[in-house]
Amino acid sequence: MARRYTLLIAVFLLIVIGLAPVIAMFVKSLFIDGKISLASYGMLFQSKREWQLLFNSLLLAGSITFITVLLGVPLGTLLAKTDLPLKRLFTILFVIPLIVPPYILAIAWFYCLGRSGIVAGMFGPKIGAATSQFLFGFPGTLFVMVSTLLPVVIILMATYLRMVNQKLEEAAKLSAGWLLVLKRITIPVIAPGIFLSALIVFILAIGEFGVPSSLRFDVFPVESFVQFSAFYNFNAATAAAIPLGVITLVILIVERLFLRKKTVQFKITKEPIIIVPLKKAKPFLFTAVSILAFIFVIVPVGVLLIKSFSLRAYNEAFAISTNSIFRSLLYASIGATCLVIFGFLLGYLLERKALRFSYAADSIAVFLFALPGTVIGIGLISLWNTHATNFIYASMVIILFGYIAQYMALGERIMAATFSQVSHSMEEAAQIVGVGWVRRLFGILIPLTKRGLIATWLVGFIFCLRDLGITMMVYPPDHDTLPVRIFTLMANSPEEVIAALGVIMVVITFLPLYLLGLVTR
Amino acid sequence: MEYRNRAFIKIVSIGFIFLMTMSGCSQKGAKEVVIYVSTDQIFSEPILRDFEKGTGIKVKAVYDTEETKSTGAMNRLIAEKNNPQADVYWANEPIRAVILKEKGISIPYFSPIAEGIPSSFKDHGGYWTGFSARARVFVVSGEGEAPNSILDYTNEKWRDKAVIANPLFGTTTSWVLALFTIWGDKEAKTFMKRMKANGVKISTSNGESTTLIVNKEFAFSLVDSDDATNVIRDGKSIRQIYPDQEEGGLGTLVLPNVAVLIKGGSNPENGKKLIDYLLSPETERKLAFADCAQIPLRRGVETPPDVKKIGEIKAIRINYEDVAKKLQEIQPFLKEWTGY
Amino acid sequence: MIVEIDNVFKYYNKIPAINGVSLNIEKSERVVVLGPSGCGKTTLLRIIAGFIQPDEGKVTIDGLVVAMTGRCLVEPESRKIGMVFQDIALWPHMSVYGNLEFGLRAKNISREKRNRLIDEMLEKVQMTHFKDASPGDLSGGQQQRIALARALIMQPRILLMDEPLSNLDLDLNLLLRKEILRMQEDLGITMLYVTHDREEAFSLAMRVVLMGHGRIQKIGNADEVSKYLLDLSM
Repeated sequence: MARRYTLLIAVFLLIVIGLAPVIAMFVKSLFIDGKISLASYGMLFQSKREWQLLFNSLLLAGSITFITVLLGVPLGTLLAKTDLPLKRLFTILFVIPLIVPPYILAIAWFYCLGRSGIVAGMFGPKIGAATSQFLFGFPGTLFVMVSTLLPVVIILMATYLRMVNQKLEEAAKLSAGWLLVLKRITIPVIAPGIFLSALIVFILAIGEFGVPSSLRFDVFPVESFVQFSAFYNFNAATAAAIPLGVITLVILIVERLFLRKKTVQFKITKEPIIIVPLKKAKPFLFTAVSILAFIFVIVPVGVLLIKSFSLRAYNEAFAISTNSIFRSLLYASIGATCLVIFGFLLGYLLERKALRFSYAADSIAVFLFALPGTVIGIGLISLWNTHATNFIYASMVIILFGYIAQYMALGERIMAATFSQVSHSMEEAAQIVGVGWVRRLFGILIPLTKRGLIATWLVGFIFCLRDLGITMMVYPPDHDTLPVRIFTLMANSPEEVIAALGVIMVVITFLPLYLLGLVTR
Repeated sequence: MEYRNRAFIKIVSIGFIFLMTMSGCSQKGAKEVVIYVSTDQIFSEPILRDFEKGTGIKVKAVYDTEETKSTGAMNRLIAEKNNPQADVYWANEPIRAVILKEKGISIPYFSPIAEGIPSSFKDHGGYWTGFSARARVFVVSGEGEAPNSILDYTNEKWRDKAVIANPLFGTTTSWVLALFTIWGDKEAKTFMKRMKANGVKISTSNGESTTLIVNKEFAFSLVDSDDATNVIRDGKSIRQIYPDQEEGGLGTLVLPNVAVLIKGGSNPENGKKLIDYLLSPETERKLAFADCAQIPLRRGVETPPDVKKIGEIKAIRINYEDVAKKLQEIQPFLKEWTGY
Repeated sequence: MIVEIDNVFKYYNKIPAINGVSLNIEKSERVVVLGPSGCGKTTLLRIIAGFIQPDEGKVTIDGLVVAMTGRCLVEPESRKIGMVFQDIALWPHMSVYGNLEFGLRAKNISREKRNRLIDEMLEKVQMTHFKDASPGDLSGGQQQRIALARALIMQPRILLMDEPLSNLDLDLNLLLRKEILRMQEDLGITMLYVTHDREEAFSLAMRVVLMGHGRIQKIGNADEVSKYLLDLSM
């Protein structure tokens, strides 16, 4: 009973915090001047242009997902499961592009590959013209987005690889080489995790607007964006956002039809994961990973460092952003903690099918994840901005609501995949000796899913910290976060200060991650 | 295990109390004012800090920028209509203020300070009042021949060499709207189509247009005077040209900042004080000397040498109200024109 | 009567996994459910434990109806049942001591009494020296003993065992069988044991319940069931 109520409360909060604002927006979009009308939706797909945009979006998101998984799975395996030299450093490096706000990353690449960028300066204007042509358009957008989203796959790979029962690998190792074991045993066992990372990448890619717009590749989210920021038409903006949600739901259905749960494998020992020796391949793989790290990370971050290389820039950057930095860290920590709590309960619900509507809850969370932050943001305003609820709307609570609404799916899915690695009998064994839900929670489930919880917190922290869409819409006056501040300061601020702020952003993200790493070592 | 349980309960309750205090802190105090700002934060924030220092009234701000086209302030003002959080809106151009007036979000306020400001930059009903302005100017790369009229956008000579910011956003929208009001729809549409036929490149913002010109990727672009002055002060070799200044010419569009008092704000008195401050000659002077190089609307205000006086500029004579009304009407055209 | 299973049905995707099973278990009885995998024997065990609910029929423990037509009336944690799982399911993050202690703590038993009970129980399963060991460091047989101890320390009304010895080698299997028998007789505990292994079933059971296709096919002592099976194969 207690279990049922806990889960029901979690679902209820998901609905109130996340779904209600979107429903409010959706219902409003069906009315025009007080009458039911589908006019807002009629405007969608009235021209070929919109279909072209949708095609562009699907092409871009599909390509990004394909490439990140193709690169991320071997890369994640190399970093988490082999004796690759400097793997810790590489892991940190590869995570950086996720932390730098994507629009800053795009700018860094512009400084580098633009017509008068660093490359052009080194190799002449002809090369510059070529690199600029590469950067602006589909290839450049694809490239920058892959570098931003690759960390998602790497982080999740590392998380799930740690949870694989090594007995499975040992058994297979008796008759096969490591390459075959990884390919046939390890990777298939964590297939749900890989699919999850692909899903997250796809959703983030299809909803991204900043990078494609600054690199001139037109995508579907621009429709919703234009309705908001050029015409202030909330109805049309909501209508234009719904297709993104629908695409995501279609993918969810496909997932459920074709990706039935694999057999559960849990591990009973506390031994660290088996590290695969690379032997002869080591120098080659090390070079390959170094080259990737150089291209994806060292170049853009180097550009930012060079651009910001002056004490004055950092002085100024700190002077204008100290408060925002503290707020960012505070909000992101609390937000990540909320995501862990919700993710734990909803992930449990999804994986254990503990209530009849566990799939419905999952669909809601993923749908919200796919919606543009602006839509959820305006929805939150229209729902919570009343006299009675001013204590929520005019405080940081509204930002937390936004984080929970938008990123709940991350926590829920990471935790569900974690629970899939924990045998049901672990909890049942406690239940049968008379242990109630709360004690099972704290005595069995939480300790057994510790790694997943930490991963959820880290991922939640990063995503809350870098959030712009929702925070921008709902932050109470004077409560802005660093990404918001960077974004609003970008206009007409000196380049070096913006570059410095980007560097600060990376540092403040890593600081807590580093501390947490020390604690959980 | 029990210890852990207890610790957990403690953490939860501390968190709860903490949240309560956090939300409690932001309850309305007497000595504060909430402002939403669409003028670049880098320029507006110092002005607001000065106001804070001078009056002791705490300024809480939400920023938004035209440059990066964030959707913050305007959308929030509209969405918050039923329970306004803001007392004042500082818009970067009058069109937005007119939209707010139409949507019933602002209320009139005739500031006593605004007397020196020419009446063409004020709403007759008091719904908005202009101060420091920007003008639409050409930035031109290189030393050779330069365009001197917006009609050069359609001139064969400049085929594929000109840039304009996306007319769906910001001051470029206002500029296109102004052309529609003074020329009439037919002529304006012809102009826009010919401009496109002449290979004009659409950039995401005026700032980006300027960067493209500075990097010599194109020959010229119509941008805001602050964008131009900013890069010239930075030592970049470009020229700034006010278009259509000849005798009998069209003139160029001048867009003031505007201050708007929001209906139903919690601190109307402080809001009025803040508006008075924004409209003061002091603020106009500061904005002229800041890197945004805004043009004071009052005649007597001191300016640095590279900022033109308002009297030296031949401006397009328009009624901003009419311009804003065009917005709804030509939206579909603009959307199609841009390719969005 | 400790457990009464009364005409229970359980469907998965409309296919019956338990197809009208009735079974009574007496106090201190050793009942072994024998059947091939997929015959519904584990499902039956889990219905008694309360992890799944019967779609039709009812389950009574000690005269109290605990589950009836799809509804769980008494949660598993309140049924005072012990269970040894097929995958052993020792909690890897706790020591042996912690594994035994966890259930006792939930009953708010004092520390001294907990310690005493645990020491006694570890002695009974001959694992005294492994009190502070981690389950991961134990061998398969040792893990099995701890799993048994964990179930017995709660003094359950009935002990459910789900193929507990199926993963062990034959020597160990035989040894543990003996110990299970000894402990059951010592403690006089009621036991419901599920296996697919005939020999195991016949050596442990007072009464063998032969199951197939979700139904009970034969109930009787080892000789009767073995004769039935022999007849069947001829």
